[in-house]
Amino acid sequence: MIQLTLHNLKIMARNRHSTFWALFFPLLLVVVFGLFQVGNFGGADVNVVNNSTNEASKEFIAQISSNNFFEVSQVDSIETALTRLNNGETEYVLTIPSEFNYNMDGTLSLQYTDQDPQQNEITLLMLSNLLNQSNAEFSSRNLIQTIELKKPETTYFDTVLLGLVGLGIMTNSIISIAVKISNYRNQSILKRMLVTPLPIWKFFASEIAAHLILAIIQAIIILGLGILLFGASIRGNPASLLFIILMGSIVFLNIGFIMSAWTNSPSAASGMGNAIALPMIFFSGTFFSVTTLPWIMPVVSQVLPLTPMLSALRDIGLNGYPIWSVWQDIAALAAWIVVTSIIAIKVFRFS
Amino acid sequence: MDEAIRVESLKKYYGKFAAVDDISFNVQSGEIFGILGPNGAGKTTTLEILEGLHSPNDGSVTVLNLDVLKHPKEIKSRIGVQLQSSAYYDYLNLLEILTLLASFYPPNVRANPTEILRKVDLENKSRQRVNTLSGGEKQRFTIAASLINNPELLILDEPTTGLDPRSRRNIWQLIEGINQSGITVVLTTHYMDEAEALCRRIAIMDNGHLIAVDTPANLRASLEYQHAVKLTVETPLTEAQIVSLNNLDADIETKSENTYAIKLKGGTASLDLLLKSIVADNVKFQNLEITPVTLEDVFLDLTGNELQEAP
Ligand SMILES: Nc1ncnc2c1ncn2[C@@H]1O[C@H](COP(=O)(O)OP(=O)(O)OP(=O)(O)O)[C@@H](O)[C@H]1O
Ligand SMILES: [Mg+2]
Repeated sequence: MIQLTLHNLKIMARNRHSTFWALFFPLLLVVVFGLFQVGNFGGADVNVVNNSTNEASKEFIAQISSNNFFEVSQVDSIETALTRLNNGETEYVLTIPSEFNYNMDGTLSLQYTDQDPQQNEITLLMLSNLLNQSNAEFSSRNLIQTIELKKPETTYFDTVLLGLVGLGIMTNSIISIAVKISNYRNQSILKRMLVTPLPIWKFFASEIAAHLILAIIQAIIILGLGILLFGASIRGNPASLLFIILMGSIVFLNIGFIMSAWTNSPSAASGMGNAIALPMIFFSGTFFSVTTLPWIMPVVSQVLPLTPMLSALRDIGLNGYPIWSVWQDIAALAAWIVVTSIIAIKVFRFS
Repeated sequence: MDEAIRVESLKKYYGKFAAVDDISFNVQSGEIFGILGPNGAGKTTTLEILEGLHSPNDGSVTVLNLDVLKHPKEIKSRIGVQLQSSAYYDYLNLLEILTLLASFYPPNVRANPTEILRKVDLENKSRQRVNTLSGGEKQRFTIAASLINNPELLILDEPTTGLDPRSRRNIWQLIEGINQSGITVVLTTHYMDEAEALCRRIAIMDNGHLIAVDTPANLRASLEYQHAVKLTVETPLTEAQIVSLNNLDADIETKSENTYAIKLKGGTASLDLLLKSIVADNVKFQNLEITPVTLEDVFLDLTGNELQEAP
């Protein structure tokens, strides 16, 4: 079986095309987000928490929204907004009090971090200008109360980097195994294996082993690039991260096996793999938190296997939590492994 | 003599369709046994049951005196199999594929990959990949792969289909050599010349049925006639001429206005009479073909169909 695993790795190494593309896409995203974090786009990303229902507050929000300098999104609770500020997902949190009007001191509170003082000053100035324009009478008053927070220990880039590890491993595991098995079936390689005395579970175990090794290499390359080139800071026990990566990878390999059984050609398998992987990237919060999305999206997010994987990776990698603190995510992944294994064994076809 | 394979009342259904319908035969140790039949006859299905890929719906099958249902693993480690359509890993070279296949077998039966490649004359291509081989080389390689466990019984599904005549003869020699080293061989083919040249005994299959099992010579001898004559004449034969030919021990069938197919009984003695009668009756012939009966004729006689569609 070790022989078979080694040969599988050899095949992957020689199949440079698909292996390259498996790595290329997540790495490209690492570079894009890395540069994005380095470059300063000038504007300010503001999360607004509106505690008021009156017209004045709505008017005011509409006003800042229409200004090109601000990138405004409304958030329901201050906690969510502050979490996002702390994760680097937004730059400013603006709170509007329940009795909002234009003639109270310290009416508005603006919270931000000390990461970029220059930008903070500009933002504050822009905001005051807007207020003055809307109500010249109170121009002399200082309407904005500012709260400067310490720069968060983790940046948005760190968060996304771990998201990209999940994304890379998921797409690669699902699609490469689905295409490979589909190919093997079309070329009767599976049948050829069946006429040897090799127990067939060993055949699958070695496929899985080879892909897990590839997943580890992939994670190391993605994290390495993010850390070395773009200064990401990832904490946490590497062994814990590895454990989560392996669990997630097994789930996605199982899904790949299922895809290969549900389709009749390698290209259909690849298409179906993509159709499964792409929405998951979005709904599981690879790039931004989905808890703020409307309607049932947060619920959808919770029932996808990528969500617990990313959540565990981030708790460990960003906050340095120990592995047992993410037991809920681990339990969810374990459940996914059990369910997908059962389905994979049920639906698998040799010819 | 020992039996390598015994098949009794074997039935295999796909849904309601009987791909193999109640067939029985046995294969003696040391022989080359051929299963001859047209497309869809059930040859592959039969072999795949012997190989443990499908389980029979009815009947019993023993391979090397082991029941296929009870000892699939032991059978698999003692037989060599070439599937009708099977590729090998794209990204490994010949030697690596054989090394990998060898690792699936118990250590005591493993053959040396390099030696196997030498046996099929592919030693100098050991670092090439399968997709760079010619059709004939590919077939030789799949035979090599089936020898990796020093099998006692080799099962080959259409080893020469799609090959040019030279490569086919090359494969025949290879199979004969393998057989002479003591390995029992079972093969399927569409080609009667192949069955005749290679096989000690032949089973003829059609539509899931086994129609006959015997040596090629006995099968030919089982026909009522020994020669097939095709006579093409300038002007159609007269009544008198036909009556005269009918005096020979023969069946005359008019194929078209001026061609006749004659099934000639009575061996070489009749040939002499036929020729004399043609001269005596002053038959003006354009062409005269005389061929000894072939397995093709046997198949036609037994099934009423041609073995191969005319090209
Ligand atoms: N998995 C299957 N499901 C349904 N029908 C099948 C299946 N496999 C084979 N058959 C049918 O069983 C019949 C016998 O097939 P088989 O492959 O044994 O023929 P064969 O003699 O090997 O033909 P060929 O010379 O074309 O290889 C065919 O009519 C085929 O269509
Ligand atoms: Mg066949």
